[in-house]
Amino acid sequence: MRIADYIEQAGGNLWKKKLRTILTTVGVVIGVGALVSMFAFGQGIQKNITEQFNKVDLFNYINVSTRDRSGEPGHSHDPDDPDAGAMDDAAAPADANDSDAPALDAQFLEEARRIEGVETAFPEMRFPAQICLGEKEQFTLVQVLPANLLRSGPLPLRSGRCYDPCEPNELIITDSLLRRLGVNEPSEALGKEIEVATVTLDFSLTNLLRMVFSSGDQGLPFARKGYRFTIVGVAERLPFGGMGDVYVQPEAAGGMRKLSLTSIWEFFRPAGEAANYSTVTVRVRSPKYIAPVKKELESRGFRTFALMDQLEEMRTGFLIMDMFLLAVGMIGITVASLGIVNTMVMSILERYREIGIMKAVGATDGDVQRIFLFESGVIGLLGGLFGLALGWTVSMVINEVINGLMARQGAPRMDYFSFPWWLCLGAIGFSILVSLAAGIYPTLRAARVDPVVALRHD
Amino acid sequence: MSTDGFIETTDLTKLYETGTVEVAALRDVTLSIDRGRFVGVTGASGSGKSTLVNLLGGLDSPSSGTIRVDGRLISDLSKKELALYRRNTVGMIFQSFNLVNAYTALENVAFPLLFAGVAKKERRLRAREVLRTVGLEARADHRPAELSGGEQQRVAIARALVNEPRILLADEPTGNLDSKTSRQIIETLSGLNRHHDLTVVMISHEQDLLREFAHELICLQDGAVVGREAMGERS
Repeated sequence: MRIADYIEQAGGNLWKKKLRTILTTVGVVIGVGALVSMFAFGQGIQKNITEQFNKVDLFNYINVSTRDRSGEPGHSHDPDDPDAGAMDDAAAPADANDSDAPALDAQFLEEARRIEGVETAFPEMRFPAQICLGEKEQFTLVQVLPANLLRSGPLPLRSGRCYDPCEPNELIITDSLLRRLGVNEPSEALGKEIEVATVTLDFSLTNLLRMVFSSGDQGLPFARKGYRFTIVGVAERLPFGGMGDVYVQPEAAGGMRKLSLTSIWEFFRPAGEAANYSTVTVRVRSPKYIAPVKKELESRGFRTFALMDQLEEMRTGFLIMDMFLLAVGMIGITVASLGIVNTMVMSILERYREIGIMKAVGATDGDVQRIFLFESGVIGLLGGLFGLALGWTVSMVINEVINGLMARQGAPRMDYFSFPWWLCLGAIGFSILVSLAAGIYPTLRAARVDPVVALRHD
Repeated sequence: MSTDGFIETTDLTKLYETGTVEVAALRDVTLSIDRGRFVGVTGASGSGKSTLVNLLGGLDSPSSGTIRVDGRLISDLSKKELALYRRNTVGMIFQSFNLVNAYTALENVAFPLLFAGVAKKERRLRAREVLRTVGLEARADHRPAELSGGEQQRVAIARALVNEPRILLADEPTGNLDSKTSRQIIETLSGLNRHHDLTVVMISHEQDLLREFAHELICLQDGAVVGREAMGERS
């Protein structure tokens, strides 16, 4: 028999029992639809996370910290960190003589920038501040980010421009913080003056006297200091928290008195000693430079951390999530495949005599088996196509609902479902495969029919 | 008269088990049928007539003994080879016509060509041609339920002929027909035998009709051949 004849036979035979075919196919449609939606959700989440990491260039960064400053940031005391003990031992000679220990200072930044593959290196700095726009105030984190890094695209701008390296008092704010400050239209904020008020330690004589003679919580050595900036750009707030809500240049941050979250130890630095950073961020030109640059930095006695290292763990996590979603989706497919088995067995019982006729006129067992297998396959094909359409439609509806709810909380719009080509083709292929598998037992039964008995059958 | 032993059975036996009891449907049947002969098979119900035709048609396998068709040992063929034998060498017609009710007369006739891998257009052409031979071209698009018993049997004959077999096996083809139609059917088979050199083996209870049209009459009783009657050459 020809392939075209098998298909025509299958289509014709299924069409003769329209209702039963439609009901069986609907079962497959629902099963495939559920499976596709689940998988598309898993893919969507993975895609969003990976894209956001790529968007903020997180795979191109290496965090560098010192190994030797006991009690300072960068020194690992994490009992879960297998390197911690080894590092302490390795750092022991450096502890004996602090001046020999590698330091994260301006000279390191210069040296790091000369390593092959390094685009730039800058100290990691983030500090808390009170942001005042008109009469409204919000407490948030200010991220220090050089202009050249900002231009490379980690922050999608909704309005305005990137700040000018020659204008240190220019600032970028996120749309989310802007809304909290009462400005809903990003373009309205451009050019406006905004105050960034920092908290600093104040050991001045006046403050010390106030500490001595005051009671309760008034006696802390803190002081507030305000700095004026001009808003030149409004950025989207990055999902998963992002880096902060306000971005300023290192030149501006350097002139501000502030309590840095990552360099509190700097406040206890002896006067006259050169400024050391607790952490420096090194940006490489592409992820392929991560490994050699890390190796180079570690050989110089620094600790490094790159998110790239975590990628494999993330992939394993995604795989587990996919397997879980697949297992849930398979329930529907399993039920649908039982429906196919039932339909095919019924069809064979009804056409018992016809099978006898087929054999009497020269059909082989293989011909009979393939005729019924094609019928199963056609159910699978239709179920796959319509199931894909159903899964896509349901996913789009759910996506709109979630985005509607998330928009109320100021979250940016996201596609929570992803339908890569391989998922679409895979769903149809899988549906056909499951249907064929479901058809194996009934078709074997059909092939084994004794023609003599079948021809006598009423 | 010379014999060519086109169909030969030797000690052909077919046993069926019903529970613990073994029943012999055919026992040590040795026959020889020449090419181009019209052979009638008669006997009481349960005498083994249908079993003999099923074995000759390759629908069933013997418990022992051999069947040779044109020198080829049919009784030793594999299932697939038997299917090809049924497809290419024999055509079968049955008392209850065994047409596919959902198909038209044309589609029923074209059905065997489907398994022979003939293209759809060619199938329809050949089927229409054979329907014309049995005088049913005008009823080609009718389903079996819309045809009389005689017409249905002629559709079944057309279906048996469409692959141009060398042997036509008819298992009581007139059993469900009135006497006039029965005669027409036997006349049709006889005509095919004479004009197409087709070897016909036909089971029937109507011995008078068989004597009128067949070259030879074989009588079965309790699974054994109990008589052979030659009717002489016909023109």
